Amino acid sequence: MPAARSIWNGTITFGSVAIPVKLFSATSPHTLRFREVRASDGATIEHRRIGAESGDEIEYADIEKAYDEGDDGQIVLTKEEIAAAEGTHPKVIAIEHFVRAEEIDPVFYDKPYLVGAQDDGVHGYRVLLAALEKSDKVGIGRFVLRSRENLVAVRPLGGALGIQTMRFDDELVDKSDLELPSLRKKPGAREVKMAGALVEMLQGDWEPEEQHDTYRDAVMDLIERKRHGKEPKKAKRKPEDGGDLADALEASLKGGKPKRKTAAERKKATAGASSAKAKASSGGSKSSSGKPSSGGSTSTATKRASAKKKASTTKKKPSTTKKKAAS
Amino acid sequence: MARSLWTGSLSFGLVNVPVQLVSAVRDRDVHFHQVHKETGERVQMQRVASTDGKEVDWEDVAKGWETDDDRMIVLTDEDFEAAQPDKTRTVDIDLFVALTDIDPVYFDHPYWLLPAGDGDGPIRAYRLLVDVMAKAGQVAIGRIVLRAKEYLVALREQDGLLSLTTMHFADELRTPDDIGAIPTGKKGKPTKREIDDAVALIGELTDDFKPSRYDDCHRVRLLRLIDEKRKNGEVEIPEHDPEPAPQKAPKDLMAALEESLATARARSKKGGGTATSRGGSKRRAKAG
Repeated sequence: MPAARSIWNGTITFGSVAIPVKLFSATSPHTLRFREVRASDGATIEHRRIGAESGDEIEYADIEKAYDEGDDGQIVLTKEEIAAAEGTHPKVIAIEHFVRAEEIDPVFYDKPYLVGAQDDGVHGYRVLLAALEKSDKVGIGRFVLRSRENLVAVRPLGGALGIQTMRFDDELVDKSDLELPSLRKKPGAREVKMAGALVEMLQGDWEPEEQHDTYRDAVMDLIERKRHGKEPKKAKRKPEDGGDLADALEASLKGGKPKRKTAAERKKATAGASSAKAKASSGGSKSSSGKPSSGGSTSTATKRASAKKKASTTKKKPSTTKKKAAS
Repeated sequence: MARSLWTGSLSFGLVNVPVQLVSAVRDRDVHFHQVHKETGERVQMQRVASTDGKEVDWEDVAKGWETDDDRMIVLTDEDFEAAQPDKTRTVDIDLFVALTDIDPVYFDHPYWLLPAGDGDGPIRAYRLLVDVMAKAGQVAIGRIVLRAKEYLVALREQDGLLSLTTMHFADELRTPDDIGAIPTGKKGKPTKREIDDAVALIGELTDDFKPSRYDDCHRVRLLRLIDEKRKNGEVEIPEHDPEPAPQKAPKDLMAALEESLATARARSKKGGGTATSRGGSKRRAKAG
């Protein structure tokens, strides 16, 4: 992983305690980066800003933002004027109060960041971290990131301080905002019982390290096939459902499907995948570098990784593994 | 209602339920257009091919992967669908876990997973899943492919419906070790008294989590300054407050903790609580 660079430097305050900190993104997504191209010939696409009426190209330096007021025209604001909305202390994460961690539904949590201490902040950082860990509380505050003020939760994250931006209540879509068909058709008692048994069979522990992205490998594989002029594999669609609910449940319970891997299979898959990961990461920061670079061994590394991982990814197959707790 | 972003099938054992995905978050930001600063002419983004400068319609845009020998492999939407057809149209549930076991750092975007169509069978199957998950009190873990990326997902029962939240894979999350964020060793090691004071201060400043008390102050301020510009033709730009100075010496930190604690205690004695939500009652200001 490339050396992490902080994306924000500032101060966390609670009470009159001020802690100078730096912020790092806590995520580095696996997204494959593609170029925008013309479908017919693969020519790369450039974006050009033009006047909507004149069609003349407009320089970035000549662009301002305007608020549309419909028939009343528009109000143009300079960048400095828009920045005034950031408030008067853009470099401070001010904790307003604390709440009990378990009261926050995860739907409110948005993007996570890791917090590091600046030199003068180490002591305060450690006091706040220790106190949050001990009290199982979360600090709620606000701060400006990328020109936008966010509501944030300050909480322990993997032994460090973390902050996570939060969604506002009125950004969430409630049930009352949805158009729903009537859900009054109740399943039968027998179906409920069987489904309950199936849930029990599938109960397990949350072991996120065991879960790996396989679609990314499939796309890399597809790229390789196309590159060598082979047809993409024929898509096999699953038959759509049409069967009887009770029959399907019964068959599932008899081992028609539940396909949790056995411990041995899982171990194998994890071993394969982690070696794949090691290889892929030796290819550098390709996936996060904005565009696929043309040089270097990166795509070969990824390809090798994908081949390796594919060999170890077990196909969906029936398994009789039962709920862990029960065995 | 928001448009469905994806339709497919939720598969639980051998039961397949036709479902559609709707975002559970709406964009309430104040939006601006780009305009020319002098003429006010609206700016449009035009896509042109780098080779011949011709405009490219949105329908003719595909994704390109540049190989290491400088070839461009063109991938269409159909290609992405075909890469793993089972995955692109199905959410497979194969594990149930306790919600509290999942650290919220994993969660990404929340959606509603609603029944697609209103046939008797599919609705009953959907209801069955809702009921059984409500009863189990657990979340189901599965996968979904959205916009050519695979996500882990957590499904749970909420309000008599199913919600789906995309999650990060474990290796997409940085650990504190990756960035050296955890201060260790002797430097700045907190004393028991400091921790106790900080815990007491946190206790004094603790309140219930009431999401509706938090306003989007940024949106409120933006709308206010748009108004100011409309009326006065200009916006007053406030000075930034100086950044608060850290307590460098341990005794200063201790003093700051005790002072804050005394202030907080005095305030809660007065019965003022800790109500600190800025912007007060101006909730749900319409964002244009």
